[in-house]
Amino acid sequence: MGKIKFLIPLVVVAVFLGLSSIFVVDEREKALVLQFGQIKAIKQEPGLSFKIPFIQEVVRYDDRILSLDTDTIEVTPSDDRRLVVDAFARYRIRDVVQFRQAVGVGGLPVAEDRLSSVLNAQIREVLGADQVTSDTILSEDRRSLMGRIQQNAQASAAGLGLDVVDVRLKQTNLPDQNLDATFARMRAEREREAADEIARGNEAAQRVRAQADRTVTETLSDAEREAQVIRGEADAERNAIYAEAFGADPEFFAFYRSLEAYERALKGNNSSMVMTPDSEFFDYLGSGRISE
Amino acid sequence: MPEIDELVRKGQDQLRVLMGGRGGGGRGGTGGGGGQGPQFGRGTIGLAAFGAVALWLFASVYTVKPEEQSVELFLGEYYATGNPGLNFAPWPVVTYEIVNVTSERTENIGQRANVGNEGLMLTTDANIVDINFQVVWNISDPSLLLFNIRDPQLTVQAVSESVMREIIAASNLAPILNRDRGIIADTAVEDIQATLDEYESGIRVVRVNLDKADPPREVIDAFREVQAAEQERDRLQRQADAYANRVLAEARGEAAQILADSEGYRARVVNEARGDASRFTSVLTEYTKAPEVTRKRLYLERMEQVLGDIDKTILDQSIVGTEGGSSVVPYLPLNELRRNTTTNEGN
Repeated sequence: MGKIKFLIPLVVVAVFLGLSSIFVVDEREKALVLQFGQIKAIKQEPGLSFKIPFIQEVVRYDDRILSLDTDTIEVTPSDDRRLVVDAFARYRIRDVVQFRQAVGVGGLPVAEDRLSSVLNAQIREVLGADQVTSDTILSEDRRSLMGRIQQNAQASAAGLGLDVVDVRLKQTNLPDQNLDATFARMRAEREREAADEIARGNEAAQRVRAQADRTVTETLSDAEREAQVIRGEADAERNAIYAEAFGADPEFFAFYRSLEAYERALKGNNSSMVMTPDSEFFDYLGSGRISE
Repeated sequence: MPEIDELVRKGQDQLRVLMGGRGGGGRGGTGGGGGQGPQFGRGTIGLAAFGAVALWLFASVYTVKPEEQSVELFLGEYYATGNPGLNFAPWPVVTYEIVNVTSERTENIGQRANVGNEGLMLTTDANIVDINFQVVWNISDPSLLLFNIRDPQLTVQAVSESVMREIIAASNLAPILNRDRGIIADTAVEDIQATLDEYESGIRVVRVNLDKADPPREVIDAFREVQAAEQERDRLQRQADAYANRVLAEARGEAAQILADSEGYRARVVNEARGDASRFTSVLTEYTKAPEVTRKRLYLERMEQVLGDIDKTILDQSIVGTEGGSSVVPYLPLNELRRNTTTNEGN
C-alpha cells in the first residue's frame, strides 16, 4: 500500500516531465526553441523534437501563406488624375530567425504593420512613377505594375524575414468627388449615342425611300419605253399589212378609202353641206337624163 | 505550446480514467465483500485494460463522410490522406483534420453590404461599370489547402476581386455591357485559378457567375434611352422598308399594266389592219371581176349613206352663178341654218 502511494505521484511527475520535454512541430508551422530569450534551435521541418523542460520554451510561427489588405490610399499618377487604390499582399515567413529579430516578441501584428507601410510606400512609388499614367494602370500593363510592386516590396521586406509571394491591386477607382463628373460624362456620351442612332435611322430610312422612288421611276420609264417600242412595232406591222394589201391596186384603194373616209368624217347630224347637184351622184337629179 | 498543454491534459484525462476504472471495478468485482482495501482482482485489471483499449480505439478511429477527405499528420508531419469511410489514426501520435472537399462554396463579390461601392469598377476608357459576380469553389487538395493557406475564404475573395478588376480595367465599357460576359467569366476562372495555383492553395475554381455587368445606377436611364433610340432606329428603317416594298410592288404592277396595254394595242392595231386589209382584198377581188359596175355601186351606196345623214343645202348651178358673175352664196345665213338643226335636236 505505502509503495503504491509513493509510486503514483512519482509516475505523475515523470510523465509531466516527459511531456514537457517533447514537442511536435506541425506541418503548418516553424518553431524556435528559446532559452531565456536566446535562440537555441530552429525547427523548420515538421516532426517530434526535444527541449529542456522549464528552461527552454518553444515559439511557433505560421508557415502558411498569410494575407494582408492594405489601406485605401490615393495615388496621383503622372497625368495628375487621382485614383483611389487598395491592394492585398500574400506573404509567408521565410526566415524565422530574422523575423524574430526584426519584430521581437510582437510577432505577426508588428510584422503586418511594417509590411503595410512598406506596401503603401511601394504602391505610391510604382504608380506615381514618371512614365506611369492612369491609362497605364487601367490597361493590360496593370499586371506588370503589380509585379513591380511585388518585387520592390519583396526587396524591402527581406529584412523582416518575410517572403512577399504576391501583391495584387484591388480597386483602382476614381475618388468619390470625381464620380459625379464621370457619371455626367457617361450620360452625355449616351445621349450623343442615342441622337446618333435616331439620325442614322432617319438617314437609312431616307436612303431606302429615295432608292425605292428611283426604282419606281426606272421601272415605270422602262415599261413606257418598252410599251412605245411595242406600239411602234405594231404601227409598223399595220403599215406593212396595209401597204401589202393596198399596193395591189393603189388607184382603187384611193377610191375605196376616200369613200370610207367620207362616211366617217361626215357621220352624224352636226354636219351640213352646201352643194351643187353637178356631182356624179346627182347625174340623174339635175339634168333629167333618164336614158342615153 | 497549446499542443503540449493538450497532450498534458489528455494524459491527465487518461490517468483519471484508469483510476476511475479501478474504483468502479472494485465495486463491481467484489460485490459487498471488500471493506476499504482496494483489491486488484484479475477481472478488475482485465476490465480496466479493456476499457483503456476501447477508449484508445474510440479516440483513434474516425469516419470520413462521402463529401470529405481527411489529412493525417504523424507527429505533425504529413502522413496520409484519408478517404471516405472508417479511418484509423492511432492516438496520440497521429492527428487528423477533416476537410469538406466536394461541396461548393460561393463567394459573392460586388454587393457586400459593408463595402460601399464595391461593385463599381473603372474601365480602360474611364467609364464606370457596376459588376456583381459569384465565385464558386471547392477543394482539390486538402493537404495543400491546410498547409499553405491560412484563410482560404478571404484569399478566394481577394484574388477574385483583384482579377475581376484587372480584367475590367483592361477592357472598354461597351464590350463588357454587350457581348463579352461569357468571355469575362471564362477569363476570370482561368486567372483566379492561375493565381491560386501560384499559392499552391489546393483550391479549385469551379465557375464564375457574372450576375450583373451594368452601368451604374446613376446613369442607367441614359443607357436605356440609347436602347430606346436603337429601337426607334429600327422602327424607322422598317417603316422605310415597308414603304419601299409597297411602292415597288405598285410600280411593278403599273409597269406590267403599261406593257399589257401596249401589247393590247399591238394586237388591236394589227388585227384591225389585217381585217381592213382582208376586207379590202376581198372587195378588190370582186372589183377586178367587174370594175365599172362595182365602182359605181360602191360609190352610190356610200354616198347614199353619207348624204342621207347630213343637212344638205343644194344650190343649182344657175343660182350659184357662173364664174365672175354674182353669187348668192355669200348671203346665205349659214349660222341660221345650223341653229335650226341644233334646236331641232334639242327638242
